[in-house]
Amino acid sequence: MLERDHTVVTINGKEFLADPGQNLLDLINSSGENVPQICYNESLGPIQTCDTCVVQVNGEMQRACGLKVEAGMKVQTELPQVQMAQKEALDRILENHELYCTVCDYNNGDCEIHNTMAEFGLEHQSRPFQEKPYNRDDSGAFYRYDPDQCILCGRCVEVCQDVQVNETLTIDWERQQPRVIWDNDVPIDQSSCVNCGQCSTVCPCNAMMEKGMEGEAGFLTDQEPGLLKSMIELTKKVETGYGPLFAVSDSEAAMREERIKKTKTVCTYCGVGCSFDVWTKDRHILKVEPNAESPANGISTCVKGKFGWDYVNSEKRLTKPLIRRDDTFHEVEWDEAISYVAKRMTEIKEKRGSDDLGFISSSKATNEESYLMQKLSRQIIGTNNVDNCSRYCQSPATKGLFRTVGHGGDSGSIDDIAKANLVLTIGSNTAESHPVLASRIKRSQKLFGQKLFVFDLRKHEMATRADRFYQPKSGSDLVWLSAVSKYILDQGLEDKNFIEEWVNEFDAYRESLEPYTMEYASELTGIPKQELIEVAEEIAKADKVSICWAMGVTQHMRGSDTSTAISNLLLLTGNYRREGCGAYPLRGHNNVQGCSDFGSMPNFFPGYEETTDDEVRARYEQAWNCTIPKEPGKDNHQMIEAIHAGNLSAMYVIGEDTGIVDANINYVTDAFEKLDLFIVQDLFLTKTAEYADVVLPAAPSLEKEGTFTNTERRIQRLYKSLDPLPGAKPDWKILQLIAQEMGGAWNYEHPSEIMAEAASLAPLFAGVSYERLEGYHSLQWPVHEDGTDEPLLFQEGFPFEDGKARFYPLEFELEYDTSEKYDLHVNNGRLLEHFHEGNMTYKVEGIARNTPNPFVEVSPELATERDIREGAEVKLISEAGEATGVVTVTDRVRGKELFIPMSANGKSAVNFLTDNRVDKDTNTPAYKEIAVRMEVMRKEGKSPIPPNNHRRGNPVPQISVNVENKWERNDYVFPGDQVNKDG
Amino acid sequence: MAKSITNIKRLEISKEEQQERDLQEVREAVTENKEAILKGIELLSALDEVGTLDTAYAFSHSKKKALKYVVDEISKDQYAQLLENLPEIVFMLGDLDVKTVRETTNRLNEGIKEMNDTAVDQKTTIFDLAKALKDPEINRSITMMMQFLKGMGRQ
Repeated sequence: MLERDHTVVTINGKEFLADPGQNLLDLINSSGENVPQICYNESLGPIQTCDTCVVQVNGEMQRACGLKVEAGMKVQTELPQVQMAQKEALDRILENHELYCTVCDYNNGDCEIHNTMAEFGLEHQSRPFQEKPYNRDDSGAFYRYDPDQCILCGRCVEVCQDVQVNETLTIDWERQQPRVIWDNDVPIDQSSCVNCGQCSTVCPCNAMMEKGMEGEAGFLTDQEPGLLKSMIELTKKVETGYGPLFAVSDSEAAMREERIKKTKTVCTYCGVGCSFDVWTKDRHILKVEPNAESPANGISTCVKGKFGWDYVNSEKRLTKPLIRRDDTFHEVEWDEAISYVAKRMTEIKEKRGSDDLGFISSSKATNEESYLMQKLSRQIIGTNNVDNCSRYCQSPATKGLFRTVGHGGDSGSIDDIAKANLVLTIGSNTAESHPVLASRIKRSQKLFGQKLFVFDLRKHEMATRADRFYQPKSGSDLVWLSAVSKYILDQGLEDKNFIEEWVNEFDAYRESLEPYTMEYASELTGIPKQELIEVAEEIAKADKVSICWAMGVTQHMRGSDTSTAISNLLLLTGNYRREGCGAYPLRGHNNVQGCSDFGSMPNFFPGYEETTDDEVRARYEQAWNCTIPKEPGKDNHQMIEAIHAGNLSAMYVIGEDTGIVDANINYVTDAFEKLDLFIVQDLFLTKTAEYADVVLPAAPSLEKEGTFTNTERRIQRLYKSLDPLPGAKPDWKILQLIAQEMGGAWNYEHPSEIMAEAASLAPLFAGVSYERLEGYHSLQWPVHEDGTDEPLLFQEGFPFEDGKARFYPLEFELEYDTSEKYDLHVNNGRLLEHFHEGNMTYKVEGIARNTPNPFVEVSPELATERDIREGAEVKLISEAGEATGVVTVTDRVRGKELFIPMSANGKSAVNFLTDNRVDKDTNTPAYKEIAVRMEVMRKEGKSPIPPNNHRRGNPVPQISVNVENKWERNDYVFPGDQVNKDG
Repeated sequence: MAKSITNIKRLEISKEEQQERDLQEVREAVTENKEAILKGIELLSALDEVGTLDTAYAFSHSKKKALKYVVDEISKDQYAQLLENLPEIVFMLGDLDVKTVRETTNRLNEGIKEMNDTAVDQKTTIFDLAKALKDPEINRSITMMMQFLKGMGRQ
């Protein structure tokens, strides 16, 4: 080992080996020495505001957190003057923070001020606490700020500016009494705050706190404000000296452990797969606490994961099975519902054959439940007619990756995206659809020089942040991708060694690129030729390139081909098999990856083994003691078509509001009406359930155990935070009851047994077990029998016979455009705060308060042309149907393009407009290809976006907390200097 | 033709049936926890005998109000000194040399015992006093008290 790889540092006379560039405080912490530290948090890095980690370095007093180790450094942490300086810093903190721990909702054993003071053994306060001239800010929906308790450590600012990168919070150091402010000093509710809640997560005390905790966490904290104040005064009188105070409050904190349950779970919203502890008291959810060990998100969350759980306790939850009789739903007991379902399915199977039934599994359900759904379909019924909602979004990406690299998932982890030198996002509104993942990109771009190129129709947040932003004509991404690839080849900028060693079909691919000249691409996409050339050169030049894409690519008639073109480009430039590189089809739902992985697909068994493979089928037939059809079954789209054609008369849908989220909903709901038997399993009486013959009340993620697989192919366990609402059951139990009633010998006591069965049958998951997934442990498939997983794919080669990837030649033809009659293009997608169709998030009071209405985004140009203004009401008419909505005029869209959020419901639902066009390779609906004409119903009115919506805020970007401004204040003396001065 | 519907006919469970179900649940719980429940009954009756049950009942019933009275009352100025003293007394107890105090207390008790055995109407003259100083037990007491006075007066 080379000498310079390690740096020797002496701490209190003992020598320690440090990593080069290591933070000194980090080293001290790992050396076992104890130095107080309040503003320092490993997930945030040094902020240097609290001064409590003062140590003597080479004879001089300095903040340990502000230094990087250097060879030969001599550090003293125990000298009397060092201790005095540390005490001075701690005293200053207590001037800003009143200790009334026993009646404080934050007294849960993890208050960092409390613990630091107790560890330091601080017995008495030298200077009294001083109230500040500010009121508490209670205006926000989810958290509140108490300036009186705030120690101005700046963690909240750091996390807002540089981790979440929403850039709302700053500390105003110029005031007589500094404080944290929102935007340019407006109340929380009126600011650009997106309520990701990370400020309240990292706050070391009760200054920034989740509202759910208030008056709930402690035994004595639920008091009227006046009484609470008296009790605070009383506590201070009785608890003179901190020793006894801590003893009493520690005992109370220990008692709280008995009453507050903290359960690890995995978020049930998007595909990022955030994990965190949920704090509950009976059925009451106090808060969500992410953990530095959370593998996908660390301490990060978005508003939905942090605060979006009200739906679990919604009064609209179903608690009894429903059976339709004479056009009324009748509540029935479970026994009756199960035997009814079993009897009807058996009848239909016997009369019309197995393939007359269809099953649609859910991305909200666990891997185990997806496995059971396809087992029910294949073993008990005997059909491959089983699919899931990835058909609506991600099948094209999976297809594109199967064609080229062989695994249908992200090629690395979110960490790899953060490490890339250049990130391209194509057709992805990342900051709203995958907020926590977007924050990683925003941080790398803001602090570490990562470049970001965004290709999207809409100028969303990532577009405004991008180093380059292009708006290619809808559906034309394949063309510029291919032209850029051709240019790289023509200039000889491709990674020749990589191609030589790892990729087949080069000549055919090269030939297929012939038509994609820069001129052609520029003409078709509308991006200037010179810009495309620069993009090509930057991609070729960058060492590590990651490409993220989403529905803007996949939900087109050439979604699979465009996904393929992305993968081709990555192969051409050698951007696979290395850290910081790769293909990232950002999965939309929490378990959209896992639902397909575990076999709810018409052509695949779990682990993507084809039904047509005799060896594989024999394996399942033997394990399940049944006969399974060889030919692939019908996908979602084909099932709906089959209903219309009279070839499918029974359908069983779990947790999918197909009647809102499928394209061309008029056509879909018409199909529902034709079914003989329609079974829907959901939390609520959804739009889809309204057409059902039987509705079975299911339990949400917080009420069950199981595993989810996120966009990184990461399998994570969720534990049961709450008992199922009386009357509701987890999907796996319902499926088992039906299978048993129909004669299946199923006998699972716990989801771990289902996983064990799946792992024993599917080689992709051979080593997956609940023991290996304990707590915050996770596995990224493929998982080998010995438990090793593959965070970065293709290390041992690509999963084809010769271990090589393949270029896949493509053709292009533009099939969609607006016309004279339908002259406007409608785009659609998610909003940050509403998930998907919104059936969970509209039930969250705070979210509904800030974002109550759907809207139609219209460009300023179009608004002028049509003479409409904010709040206008318009009717949009496509070939398939019509929808009405209220207008917001914004430059997020341009020209003749409109945007409708997917959470638009009722008459605004975008899927009244979509039609039966699909991706030619996967049958994914071409949601993004809708031409409409617009009729004006009202020229202006009340804006659909209320004044307290974050979109109206004004962020204040800066790096970190500007601690230099604190140091420059006249009343500031560094505690080390103070001690030297005082002698 | 299954049209979209939202009307739900609730499953009506008669009051009697609901009672029967609840009772069954309780019955099962009782059988499973027989010992604990019997002990609980004993405890309750003991608390009832001494009147604690009534007090506890009244306090739980108006916990918030009661707490408010207590906190408001002891927050008054006249209790300030008492409250500040409370922890001080605790600390004082901590500072005392309990072992020595115990020895001294023993002696004190011996003294009291002797005192009670003696008739109070008996008179003591100066001569008796001088003579008493020769008594080793009395002499030891006087010496100890003089040492105590000295220590107490020390600055």
